[in-house]
Amino acid sequence: MVMLHIFHIGFAVQKYDMRLHSSAFYMAITFPNIPAAEDTAPVKVVATKRQYPGALVVVEGIDGSGKSTQLYLLKRWLEIGGYRIHFTEWNSSPLVKSATRRGKQRRLLTPITFSLLHAADFADRCERQILPLLHGGYLVLADRYIYTAFARDAARGCAPRWLRNLYSFAPVPDITFYFRAPLDVAVNRIVAGRPKLKYYEAGMDLGISLDRAESFRIFQERILSNYDQMIETDKFILMDGTVRVNKLQKLMRQIVGERIDLGQFAPKKK
Amino acid sequence: MTRPDKANGSNAAPDGGTAKRSRKKVQSEAPSRFYGTTLPGVKLEELSGTLFVLEGTDGSGRSTQISLLTEWLESEGFAVQTMGLRRSFLVGQDIDALMAENSVTRTTLSLMYSTDFFDQLERRILPALRSGLIVLADRYIFTLIARSAVRGIGRDYLHGIYEMALRPDLTFWLNVRPEIAFDREFKKAQTISYWESGRDMSLSNDLFQSFIRYQSLIKREFEYLSKRHGFIELDGEGSVSEVNRVLRKRIASHLGIRSTHYQPSHALSHLWR
Repeated sequence: MVMLHIFHIGFAVQKYDMRLHSSAFYMAITFPNIPAAEDTAPVKVVATKRQYPGALVVVEGIDGSGKSTQLYLLKRWLEIGGYRIHFTEWNSSPLVKSATRRGKQRRLLTPITFSLLHAADFADRCERQILPLLHGGYLVLADRYIYTAFARDAARGCAPRWLRNLYSFAPVPDITFYFRAPLDVAVNRIVAGRPKLKYYEAGMDLGISLDRAESFRIFQERILSNYDQMIETDKFILMDGTVRVNKLQKLMRQIVGERIDLGQFAPKKK
Repeated sequence: MTRPDKANGSNAAPDGGTAKRSRKKVQSEAPSRFYGTTLPGVKLEELSGTLFVLEGTDGSGRSTQISLLTEWLESEGFAVQTMGLRRSFLVGQDIDALMAENSVTRTTLSLMYSTDFFDQLERRILPALRSGLIVLADRYIFTLIARSAVRGIGRDYLHGIYEMALRPDLTFWLNVRPEIAFDREFKKAQTISYWESGRDMSLSNDLFQSFIRYQSLIKREFEYLSKRHGFIELDGEGSVSEVNRVLRKRIASHLGIRSTHYQPSHALSHLWR
């Protein structure tokens, strides 16, 4: 059976509404909001309401949930059709590569610096790719987005409220597909395909277990449960990762077609 | 001990002394050393050291004062650890590289600096404070907040990121006029750098104008931060020895050091003006 939650979001509204993720999460306790020196800022606050003609489609889910395969197939479908699209991946920019490598090799990363480094990387992609493309009328496909950070960094012990604030500059996706597979299925897919799990990937920095496979499993379990908690608050569309690949892709294409006016990204007829 | 007393906040020439010392006992019981959420894995009661911060724009004399204070505190028998911007092992050199390219965007740069800050905080400052050291910070979150805020990043956003920073015991603000800072910086390098003059903000094509306008924006941001966080404002245009005397007085009273007498060693005597 295909699990599918459709939420009643006004299409037009969601499409152009780039809200701050965390307006409700700003802490006001220790830093009272004193409206002073407002006029010193030449440009106003980051990412307030902005409008753009593009659209953003995101896939999320734990490792092995099938999300990347599905997004790849969606991308191929749109590419072959000649649509104006751009594909972007989590943690792909050269910006933080050396720092991440240094931190991982020597195991220097703490939950906070791990999180900040990924946020810096995402900010680079956001300000130099995603936002300009959205303003330029592209359909942007993202393999993992800010919810990856919310789920994973919270599993490492970062405060969810702090994380929401950290990523509040990011535009809200038009569609967020959440691929969900049972923990065993997902974990087996990953472990079977990889000779050795990496230290941070397995969540070894958390000190849950000395056994990598065991640690990985518990870490993924925490992430899975954090994802589940966002299904409603962040309007995820739940996709059953155990459904046959082509069947699931058919459904994914159908949902994209229903929720996004693909015509505006179609090749222009001369 | 924590929070700088707001009432003393912008007092330019504090006369330190006896009242302070008696308050110290009460302060040691006060809780929150963090602004908001505590860093994961940190036990506050373990932090027996003291954190002093020196803030101020480029050319305000912070580094000079830190060298002198370090020597003075060491001569008084206190072990000192320092921190500053872009000194983390994790990303210090990456920020240098990014800034050399001038193609980095504001949010990214801001977050790289916060990575740099937290790496130093977690790997250097907290261990030092656990061991009872005195930490002297050459700039702190306030410079990072000010620089990002003048570039249009929300103040609440920035304060949100740094809510896990440790609240300094005392924060000194060496306040100088931008014109004076210009003279000092120019003398140092015979030129004015891209970032010191805020050229990424396109304020003016004239370097001098750009520097003055940028540093004025930063200064106004500091005025706001000073009120919000209770800085001890010092006249950074005074002589090195005079500023140092005031700093020693405040720090001595905070630490319960009786004598504030200090004469720099031969190695540092060139700084003493």
